[in-house]
Amino acid sequence: MSMFDIWLGILQGLGITLEVTAYGLVFAVPFALVFGVAQFVTTGWTRFLVTAIIEFWRSSAVVVLLFVFYYVLPVMGVTLSALTVSALVLGLNTGGYASQAVRAGLQSLPAGQREAGMALGLTRPAILVLIELPQALVAMSPTFVNNLIQLVKATSLVSLVTLTDMTFRAKEISQTEYDPVAIYSALLLAFFAVCYPIALAGRWLEARVNPHKGAQRGI
Amino acid sequence: MGFNLDFALSTIPTIIGAIRATLLATVLSCLGASALGFTFEIIRRGGGAPGLAVRFLIDFIRSTPVLAWLYFLYFVMPFYGIRLGAMTVGIMGLSLYYSGYLAEVFKAGIDAIPKGQQEAARSLSLSRRDTLVFVIAPQMLRNVAAPLGNYLVSILKATPYLAILAVPEMLGRAFDIASETYRYAEPLTVAGILFLALALIVAYGVKRIEQRLLASGRR
Amino acid sequence: MLAQAPHPVSNVQTTPYVRVDGLNKRFGALHVLKDIDMTIRAGARVVICGPSGSGKSTLIRCINGLEPFQKGTIELDGITVGKNARDTAKARRQTGMVFQSFNLFPHLTVLANCTLALRRVLLKPAREAEEIAMQHLTAVRIPEKARAYPAQLSGGQQQRVAIARALCLNPRIMLFDEPTSALDPEMVKEVLEVMIAIARTGVTMVCVTHEMGFAREVANEIVFMDDGRIVEHASCKAFFSAAAHPRARLFLDTIMSH
Repeated sequence: MSMFDIWLGILQGLGITLEVTAYGLVFAVPFALVFGVAQFVTTGWTRFLVTAIIEFWRSSAVVVLLFVFYYVLPVMGVTLSALTVSALVLGLNTGGYASQAVRAGLQSLPAGQREAGMALGLTRPAILVLIELPQALVAMSPTFVNNLIQLVKATSLVSLVTLTDMTFRAKEISQTEYDPVAIYSALLLAFFAVCYPIALAGRWLEARVNPHKGAQRGI
Repeated sequence: MGFNLDFALSTIPTIIGAIRATLLATVLSCLGASALGFTFEIIRRGGGAPGLAVRFLIDFIRSTPVLAWLYFLYFVMPFYGIRLGAMTVGIMGLSLYYSGYLAEVFKAGIDAIPKGQQEAARSLSLSRRDTLVFVIAPQMLRNVAAPLGNYLVSILKATPYLAILAVPEMLGRAFDIASETYRYAEPLTVAGILFLALALIVAYGVKRIEQRLLASGRR
Repeated sequence: MLAQAPHPVSNVQTTPYVRVDGLNKRFGALHVLKDIDMTIRAGARVVICGPSGSGKSTLIRCINGLEPFQKGTIELDGITVGKNARDTAKARRQTGMVFQSFNLFPHLTVLANCTLALRRVLLKPAREAEEIAMQHLTAVRIPEKARAYPAQLSGGQQQRVAIARALCLNPRIMLFDEPTSALDPEMVKEVLEVMIAIARTGVTMVCVTHEMGFAREVANEIVFMDDGRIVEHASCKAFFSAAAHPRARLFLDTIMSH
């Protein structure tokens, strides 16, 4: 098998990689917004609970979480497709990280923003949606790009729960062709081809959003 | 096929026995990543062609998933006649992957040292080497201690990837039990809980050390 | 018009002098030093003053080889500064420098700050280094803080440590780059007192400062700079009583009226 064929073979898994990513975002984005805002506005016991949930998803090892959910849920009587379980676990893990960025973005806004909103007679939810979140989300957009890259890379794990992503394809090809150098370099290059443009977009965003931050923050 | 609590409890000793392997992998990978990351940063600072090459290498590593690197090293090295144990390969893979991130940590740590420190050292006629050893390095180490601690926890959470290479760390042991007994839910849940507990303990320990460092060094 | 100050004391070192010829420096497009010519004799106590942006800090940093420059020569006791690293390092062994932001090593105690160069550069054994350091710390009046860390000291105390640190190496010329500008007013006095005491030892001093009261008391030469040039270089007495250049007179009027 030529390098080119190997490359094509691996890219056959790109569809699944992207599908898991997109599906994961379906979980990640709402979680990050809801829980990030919740951590920002709540206090006391509620906040503690919110933080606990965030920390569970953020601080757990993705590998372990994925396998546990994949094998334990059916035993509990919950049958979900491998795709759904993967998207759920990876998405909520990424969402946990992103929620911290949402919260940090909100916290970094000057207090005057909220006060101006209140002076205009807006309700708290309205202030959040119209004034605070837009600014916070834009300011943290480079971080979200990082989170996205994190998610794309994490999808390589789904190859271990029977989903035929790029990593799975690489392993599949290696069953019939003994050419580890070509196969696994191609795999690395394939991920690089997907993630590096996103990283560059993130750097461009960073330059636009934080122009005074001096030297590159690096992604 | 419900969840068998007795069986689950019976797996605990075996999995706890694997904590040593998990911690060993974590510490050695962190050391490896630090050494490599530091080297990368020094080369990058040197500028020129090597500096540029290192910058690109770091970008490449950060745009690719750790699993792909583990596969790459695990399968490519024997192809060139290098036969190393799975644990060693795993540690090399994690060291390589995280070196990209730690290079950035060292960069920030060195940049945070005020320029005046070098000037004072030069004015006192300290040699380049003495300046590095007595003035720059101690301050850099204080600056990187906190981020390094955080990455130690991240690396800990990445060690379950090594289970893919059949390394007998905590997740790997759980899979060993599962493949012998055909019961996956129990050992994986136990591994998940124990691992979470371990991660929380280590994260707490790192935080305490950081606080003590902050207290002694600055005040 | 350069008056020679009397050299009263034992510690007089012989003839280092500073010679600056045709010095020109740019920061990118900004021309910060323009055709600077200056000679400083051994034992002189020179204050360099002038409005902000006149280039006085840059000048003193060039003298110590901390800033590169494009044209001209600087010599310290006959050694060329700023052309190659070895000569510059050689020249630096005779100079001590005190910075506006102190630049103490935060991870070392006050004593260790002073002994580091004694041990690594002058290769003194530990005990002798400590004795020398304590002597100078006593001279700047903070021997009791020897085991403290810089962060535990006030600004004035830190600067005094910085001065002691520089003096430990027994330099022939002391350079001060706005030593009191970063200090709260109540601490300026203690640092100036230390500098006055140093002046009495006869060591050559070059000081960039705004403290004209100090200049009047201690300096025997004043160099006035404006917009990158040396506008006037006169004896202290002459400068304060009858400064020749109108810009210098304007500066004096503004400063002295405070």
